Amino acid sequence: MMSLVQALVNGLVSGTLLAVPAIGFSAMFAVLRFPNFSVSGIATLGAFAGYVAYGAGLELVGSLIAAFAVAGVVGLFFDRVAHLPLVKQGALPAAIASIASGLVLENVIRLGFGNDLRGFDRPIARDMHIGDIRVSPQQLETMGIALAIMLAVFAALAFTRIGKAMRASADNPELAALKGIRPQRVTMIASFVGMGLVGIGGMLLGLDSSIDPLTGTRILLSIFAAAVLGGLGSPMGAVLGAFLIGIAEELSVLTVGSPYRAAVGFFAILIVLTLRPRGLLGERAF
Amino acid sequence: MTRIAFGRRAALLTGAAAFAAPAVLRAQSDPIKIATLTPLTGAGGPYGPVMAKVAASVVEEVNGAGGVLGRKVQLLSEDDQTNPDAGVRAARKLIDVDKVAAIIGTWASSVTTAVAPLCWESKTFLCTVSGADSITQLPHQGFLIRTQPNSTLQVARSGEFMLSLGARKIYTMIPQTPFTQATIDLMGKLVSKAGGTHQGLVYDDKKTTYRTEVDQVLRTNPDMIFAAGYTTDTVVLLKDIYRAGYKGKIIGFGYSINQKLIDQIGQPEVVEGVYTYSPSPAEGSTAFERVKKATGLANPDPYTCQVYDHANLVLLAMAEAKAATGVAIKDNIRKVAQGGGTTVDNAVDGLKAIAAGQKVDYTGASGPCDFDDKGDIIDCKFRYEQIKGGKITLVKVA
Repeated sequence: MMSLVQALVNGLVSGTLLAVPAIGFSAMFAVLRFPNFSVSGIATLGAFAGYVAYGAGLELVGSLIAAFAVAGVVGLFFDRVAHLPLVKQGALPAAIASIASGLVLENVIRLGFGNDLRGFDRPIARDMHIGDIRVSPQQLETMGIALAIMLAVFAALAFTRIGKAMRASADNPELAALKGIRPQRVTMIASFVGMGLVGIGGMLLGLDSSIDPLTGTRILLSIFAAAVLGGLGSPMGAVLGAFLIGIAEELSVLTVGSPYRAAVGFFAILIVLTLRPRGLLGERAF
Repeated sequence: MTRIAFGRRAALLTGAAAFAAPAVLRAQSDPIKIATLTPLTGAGGPYGPVMAKVAASVVEEVNGAGGVLGRKVQLLSEDDQTNPDAGVRAARKLIDVDKVAAIIGTWASSVTTAVAPLCWESKTFLCTVSGADSITQLPHQGFLIRTQPNSTLQVARSGEFMLSLGARKIYTMIPQTPFTQATIDLMGKLVSKAGGTHQGLVYDDKKTTYRTEVDQVLRTNPDMIFAAGYTTDTVVLLKDIYRAGYKGKIIGFGYSINQKLIDQIGQPEVVEGVYTYSPSPAEGSTAFERVKKATGLANPDPYTCQVYDHANLVLLAMAEAKAATGVAIKDNIRKVAQGGGTTVDNAVDGLKAIAAGQKVDYTGASGPCDFDDKGDIIDCKFRYEQIKGGKITLVKVA
């Protein structure tokens, strides 16, 4: 029983970390209308940008901003140059192009940094015990950062002009354009912010473990599964999906064994696409 | 690093020289050809050049003492680029054009796996330093030996070491690899024979946290954890084990728990006391001293020591067979490598002993160099180390 509760707690922690890039992924899908698989490369890029910034003496927050900015700018560049011109042909060509961009990014990073593992030089502390449940102070900190970022994103979507414009564009691009919202601008902002969030996600995941050129690729399936589960295009759904995937992955360790973790993601996608193709929260649930 | 530029140019020169000589002389002085196929570039790049150099030193010594079977030995050296494609191209050239009797020193398991079929099909002998269990299980008809211990031997040694440290409740945490199930089974047998208990947990090496896995393991109160992964996942695993407050012992493979891992974790107390072990050359042996002298290195790596042994063994087997073909090496290599007789640590002494009609038993720089029927070494030394204050310190070589 205790192990079950502990696994749930662990799942919540990893779910929170997963939620940040999943929101980015889902928000981009809402506006750009294709699944942007270059998030694997962008998450790695964010992790490395944060790593360089952290090494240069920027504190945690500064490094997160660096991760956000670099990932956002490069992500926007790839969207403009490689993906968006293809969206007119349909979501599939753009999605395939984005897989290619992810590979390009991964290998450019490999060219610059090599295959070596790198870690953020952060103190590793023993866990705290709350009753019989273990929590790591660092993971609580990372979790807090992730929650704060999520809150900021949702506040921006709900209350700012640009947030409202994004939601309007996602809901009905033609109508939004008629109302004077410039779709081009909204697309650029969605792409920048979405990719920035993915970059932050990559760094947050790297903070706790280590980073190498495959960092993003390792979490790509979980991000995608979380977004599909919650409803592609719904940031709130992505959060819910991320928690569910995080918990399911940890519970799978207790039940079927950890090597089947990847199967959990695929299984979730399969079930959702079969029973509720729109995802748990549907597409427009901001 | 690539000071030994044999290869095509040297081959051409020798070829030209051979053709310039009168025909009768040519027949007598046709050199015996063997080749190194080592990674001069790619992931194995740090090792390959020294490996080729030490083989060249053996050949030079033997030629200085009159060669083998009255013939000079010619060593060719090709680069496999740590890449199966390039390895196969180079092997084809060595086999089809140069018609070498033996190829020594293939390093990456992928290269060896690709090159081995070319060798046994053409009856060329192959000596390798690759570790994957699957290599000696190939249908090589005896045309292959390796001096690197396979994972079965490695795991058996680690198990014995853990028991010698007094561990009785051992938990193996290992990612999915070709040797995962074999490792867990073997550890189970070893530990239960010694009256202890063993459990295994297979984890996914792509996860970013192992908290739940670690919880599951710690619930059984193990006194030793065998962290049998690679560096990437072991970094995460060791951090999570530390966070969980584990106070028992930890051991892992030397290729995974190394200085890079310590630097990566960056906090000495997380890895304090962790044991690591790896196959070791026979440090202190006379052959090892010879390798030190030939390479000019204070601490030659295991692969260089192994290639030194390859070159010696191949030349001795030819002398024993009185023929310089791959088949002759295959049929005679165990006669010079094991089974008692005059112990020798280099080809020159061995050739003299064979010429004097003695049975020789080669003992090399990498270990005793005794092989089973599949071509695996039966025994070798291991180096056991422990991390103390962020530095890897030697416990013992045994």
